[in-house]
Amino acid sequence: MTTTSPRRWLLTPAVIAASALALTACGSGSTGGAAPSAAPTGAAAGEGGISTVNISLANQSGADACTPDKNSVPAGPVTFSIKNESAAGITEVELIKDQRILGEKENLAPGLDPVTFTLTLDGGTYQLYCPGAGTDHVDFTVTGAAAAAPTGSAQSILAQGTKDYAAYVVTQVDQMNTAVGELNTAVQAGNVDAAKQAYGKARPYYERAESAIEGFVLPGFPPEDNAGNLDYLIDMRESTPVDAAVGWSGFHAVERDLWQGGAVTDETKKYSSDLVTNVGKLQGVVAELEYRPEDLANGAAGLIEEVQSGKITGEEEQFSHLDLVDFAGNVEGAQQAYASLRPGLEQIDADLVKTLDGQFVSVQATLDTYRDPNAIGGFKPYTPELQASDSAKLTAAIQPLHESLAAVAQKVV
Amino acid sequence: MDAGDGAAEDSVPQQPRQPPEAVATGTSRRGLLRGALLGGVGGLVVGGAGGAVAGRTLISEDSTDAVNLGTKYPFYGQRYQVGIATEPQRHCLFATFRLAPGATTRDLQVLLARWSAAIAVLQDGRSVGSVEPTSPLQPPRDTGEAHDLSPASLTVTLGLGPSVFGERFGLARFKPALFSDLPPLNGDFLDPKFTGGDLSLQACADDPQVSYHAFRNLARIGRGVVVPYWTVLGFGRASAGEGQATPRMLLGFKDGTRNIKTDDQMAQFVWIDKSDQPWLDGGSYQVVRKIRMLLETWDADRIGDQQEIFGRDKAEGAPLTGTKEFDHPDFAARDAEGELIINPLAHIALSAPENNGGVMIKRRSYNYTDGLAADGQLDAGLLFISYQNDPQHFIRLQNRLGANDLLNEYIRHIGSGIFVVPPAPEEGHYIGEALFA
Repeated sequence: MTTTSPRRWLLTPAVIAASALALTACGSGSTGGAAPSAAPTGAAAGEGGISTVNISLANQSGADACTPDKNSVPAGPVTFSIKNESAAGITEVELIKDQRILGEKENLAPGLDPVTFTLTLDGGTYQLYCPGAGTDHVDFTVTGAAAAAPTGSAQSILAQGTKDYAAYVVTQVDQMNTAVGELNTAVQAGNVDAAKQAYGKARPYYERAESAIEGFVLPGFPPEDNAGNLDYLIDMRESTPVDAAVGWSGFHAVERDLWQGGAVTDETKKYSSDLVTNVGKLQGVVAELEYRPEDLANGAAGLIEEVQSGKITGEEEQFSHLDLVDFAGNVEGAQQAYASLRPGLEQIDADLVKTLDGQFVSVQATLDTYRDPNAIGGFKPYTPELQASDSAKLTAAIQPLHESLAAVAQKVV
Repeated sequence: MDAGDGAAEDSVPQQPRQPPEAVATGTSRRGLLRGALLGGVGGLVVGGAGGAVAGRTLISEDSTDAVNLGTKYPFYGQRYQVGIATEPQRHCLFATFRLAPGATTRDLQVLLARWSAAIAVLQDGRSVGSVEPTSPLQPPRDTGEAHDLSPASLTVTLGLGPSVFGERFGLARFKPALFSDLPPLNGDFLDPKFTGGDLSLQACADDPQVSYHAFRNLARIGRGVVVPYWTVLGFGRASAGEGQATPRMLLGFKDGTRNIKTDDQMAQFVWIDKSDQPWLDGGSYQVVRKIRMLLETWDADRIGDQQEIFGRDKAEGAPLTGTKEFDHPDFAARDAEGELIINPLAHIALSAPENNGGVMIKRRSYNYTDGLAADGQLDAGLLFISYQNDPQHFIRLQNRLGANDLLNEYIRHIGSGIFVVPPAPEEGHYIGEALFA
């Protein structure tokens, strides 16, 4: 993924805390939003039945309006039923509390049948957010307290997901450490064929883990110093201008020698041993990383962006043509990040989960057609000929997934 | 240029079918005055004679060539989709899409509803969602490049290809008997890269950036359900509406002198009415042909030959049997040696309604260029778009032209598509809603 100016923000706990505060403070405050306040006191309500709120989206004298048929319901399960009567400018409705999206429906358009989502709500002040409406925030009150507290709020589920994902990244880097060790053994022995095989085995670990790339930085280095940028040191491509002060090393330097030169030189051996060293450092770095839910979402979207900008273009593995191996690694990494968010996201936007599930299946099905157990890395080489004939098909498969993943971060904040 | 040199020279100016609205309030996201300032002003040239302010000289008081960028067209409540009878705008982005392999009937339904709503907003000169969302984590909904541009008379016309009515979506019972893929036609030189498509969008405007913005955002809304297939960006309208001077296509001749212009002609030849599919009444069939022109060889052809090929003179556009553009061609007139003055294989002779059982088609074409071809030649031509209430009208004309037209030496039909354009929806509804009832 490396470019000369990698985006870097540190995923240290201190930064996480600060960012979370900033986000909360600067959220969507465009209109009429009563600040979240203490829940009204009063008797518990909502036992037994489900409350229903009908939300009408309609063009009223030239302005699109978002109008619920009631502004207050008792605590408990609430079904929101949304019908777009004639508001061409409104395509989504969200239920928000404390700047957080609790539930959402998209793809609303005049003429379609009503859609619903159901949430169990505790007492408090909420808002309906209807982007595009003349008054886009509508206050909504829930009175009393839910008979039973909702089990496992979306946020607590998401928080658990980030821990699962952190463990996944650690595992991938551990396995990469083993794999580059094997690569190094072959390189130091001058065995080109074995080294190529080992290279193909090691690559996917990096491609899966590089969603967390902004955190791949050694402590104590300023952001602009590539000597402290482990992504630069491990994954820098020759096609990108090289930082003369730091030089060029890493996976792709080894790749060039093995495939273009077809031989192991003393330089190759140096690249390889440097790679082992730097992956070892990366192990230490990722063990300390912590993530917010939106980091997983942004990371997953970033991996799919990588697929489009580096793999389908054939830039990543310009000597070995193992781009489809990396492609599969990026997708797997994105899928893992998504899987960590999925249980929480399902409570917030079940439709998006359904869409994403289908899109991952579709991308995997496309990728499966390129599998070749006899090829290095398990995929057909992405030759210039294959790129010419198939890149449009691969793009068509990956773009919808990218668009959907890009919509996740705002929902899991 | 192509088929259907329809007889319209006697036409009486008509009221526009969809009264355009000049923006006069501050509700638009786009600036208003840019268009208004130009309204009523003719062509401006830079550096002309006359010493006008800042070197600009007004060379014409002719208001027919003026553009008011504040003009906008309504989407809902029209009987017909706009972009057919609408006075041709200066630029047009034509695009076809293929439905993704996994797309379902429900996906298609939601797409048509989302596209309809978005087109209504776009034609109104607004953004399709926020350009700058309040959440830093949200990608902008609207791509933003038309954020402060005027509506520019944008019209987006949505068409459905024959494949939509196959078994795949369970919509076969809605397919009109007249509608199927175009058969192979005389003169076809089709490149699969520019042929066919499941859906079409024709986004025309007086500002090409407004056209492109509409296409780009609609394509984005469709991501996952449709994949853009082929697109052509047309410039310099090559057809005229009522009250517009006849423009020229890249061969330098006027195009569309005898185009359909009146309501009566539209009713007779363009709008589907009382068909076997009542939901399509008020619709039309859209035929699109990407016609490459071999400009370098044409440019070196002698004027006598060029004029014989068309059957008209070049500057005035008069038939060779007349002196003025709108003189009626006399296909029987002979010269002193007894030769027909208009070659029977001339473009206007083969396509004239009187030589085709009275049939006319509505043409709404644009010039295009794709830059340079691999061999270094200019890669350009005509984005031919026609509307008719029976595809056979186009098929008969093109088969005749494709077999015999003298012009064929200089043109190649490299792209093709046919779509049916349903009627416009009422407010609260969407294009094609009847398919999902």
